[in-house]
Amino acid sequence: MTTDQGSQHAQTSDESSSIYDLGYRRYEGARLGRRQAVLALYRESLRAAFGLGRSTSAKIGPAILILFALVPALIQLAIAALVPVGEIELTSHHDYYGGVKFILALYVGIVAPDIVGRDQRNRSLTLYFTRAITRYDYALAKLAAMTTAVLVITLLPQLLLFIGNALAVDDFGGHAAENWDLIFPIFGTALFGSWLLASIGTFIGAQTSQRAFATVGILVAFLLPLTVALVVVQEIDGGWTDLFVFISPLDLVDGVTYWMFRVDTQPMDSIVAMTDYALSWYAVAGAAFGLVCTGLLLRRYRKVQA
Amino acid sequence: MPVFQTDALSKIYPSVRALDELSVSIEPGIVGLVGANGAGKSTLIKLLLGLIQPTEGYASVLGYDIRTQGLELRQYVGYMPEHDCLPPEVNATEFVAHMAQISGLPAAAARERASEALRHAGLFEARYRQIAGYSTGMKQRAKLAQALVHDPKLVFLDEPTNGLDPAGRDDMLDLIRRTGHEMGITIVMATHLLGEIERTCDQLIVIDAGKLLHQGSVADFTAATEVLEIEVTGDPESLAARLVAAGLEATTEGRSVYLRSDGDAPFDLVRDTVVELGLGLVRIQQRRRTLEDLFRIETPLAETALTSGVEA
Repeated sequence: MTTDQGSQHAQTSDESSSIYDLGYRRYEGARLGRRQAVLALYRESLRAAFGLGRSTSAKIGPAILILFALVPALIQLAIAALVPVGEIELTSHHDYYGGVKFILALYVGIVAPDIVGRDQRNRSLTLYFTRAITRYDYALAKLAAMTTAVLVITLLPQLLLFIGNALAVDDFGGHAAENWDLIFPIFGTALFGSWLLASIGTFIGAQTSQRAFATVGILVAFLLPLTVALVVVQEIDGGWTDLFVFISPLDLVDGVTYWMFRVDTQPMDSIVAMTDYALSWYAVAGAAFGLVCTGLLLRRYRKVQA
Repeated sequence: MPVFQTDALSKIYPSVRALDELSVSIEPGIVGLVGANGAGKSTLIKLLLGLIQPTEGYASVLGYDIRTQGLELRQYVGYMPEHDCLPPEVNATEFVAHMAQISGLPAAAARERASEALRHAGLFEARYRQIAGYSTGMKQRAKLAQALVHDPKLVFLDEPTNGLDPAGRDDMLDLIRRTGHEMGITIVMATHLLGEIERTCDQLIVIDAGKLLHQGSVADFTAATEVLEIEVTGDPESLAARLVAAGLEATTEGRSVYLRSDGDAPFDLVRDTVVELGLGLVRIQQRRRTLEDLFRIETPLAETALTSGVEA
């Protein structure tokens, strides 16, 4: 270390300089490069999403919405514990996202600006882009963090519901074993839905550094197509106008959920039931929607001023 | 081995040649990068960080090719932007440690280095405070700390004294000098204040309109731009004429005579001449010019100073 000083002081005494010299120390340790950088960015973004390491007020919003999203599952769990009368099904796995769709939209609207807008607001993008990551690394780390954040609010209630239903019957292990085939769609829908919502949320959130604009923009992107699709599909009978169901991301999540849980016969609580398309089309449309938004997000970060 | 070198490096945007066939080679030390606003300083820094691709030409930084090895290169380079870039709602240690990890350092080492960098920047006591409560001077120090946290070999500082009061400016320049000389980190400092360059740097790159105007040691450059301002009551033209007759370069502007002085300033001659002419002497001072002055080329002296600098 300190080769310049070392050569000067070498003659006098090395010990004294190491005791009194509080000078700058070099870093000789590992440099892990891009992988470490991307993981650190992912971790820190996820922490920011839940307000960890920040003030209490930053934690409240996401926490309350997650709690709200858990309410149907919690009620189910409570009834299962208090009223041992066999199986009461208040809510089902395939209708869960439909039931909490407004909470999902609000959650994305609140969390996405924290994950993607903050660095633009603070103008700290420059500091990231001048380090060991590329612009695409940055965008994908942010999308991964957002997907994980949404996963918390989608997967948690589904798992809770699964446990609640198993508790409702006396034989917990038996129920779980009997319904193990639900595990794949539970994780599958949660992952797919989270990615789709996250890609839309981050893409819109990355367009502005103004938090309020981002939140409003995301809510509009979810709720406007939802309303339009509902009105068009409901009021105009049959024909090509039913295609409008594919413009609404929240309805796509519904359709994909029905598809993965293989429910095409049961009554469905969604406008998906009013159309005649095979449920697999929702998976195709949802994937296309998510890919386009992911692509647009990457494009945004390729061009954004750092 | 040069820290970085460029060869006919050009960056051409549709409407402007931001950098025009720039060829420089920089040895370790503290380098002043000067030019008026829009001269191409920021473009050069962005190119050298591998952030934007050059239109033509070649450059290598720390031995890495900027076209293809930007990622590897940026592990060993620090950058302090001119503008605000700090998140207000986190404490400085946490933020600087995070930045160390984004440069590729492991988490534990990152925290250790964050303390080290903040101590070096003089923020040790305030390191656990939220950045929102920092003064302008403290924010500049925190910006410097994040640029140094991963122990880079080369640091780019963009207008590091921006927004600081004179005392804060002195402290920052002192800090930069220590960083360069004691830590052996090569520093490229973009500024438009010639005074700061004189006090801090040992090498100098001057660019204007994307072209290289001058590259060399600061000592040569300041010798070539030393100007004595003599303000008098009465007619400055007569004084200038006498000084020119005495073999000096002198021009007038307003009520002042500007005298080019190489080495020892001819104070005695000026005093005697003023007395002989019966003028009143208001003041004699060494003029510190900003580079905007030099580039404006209103004063012919500035022009000669610059051209002779290039020749030197």
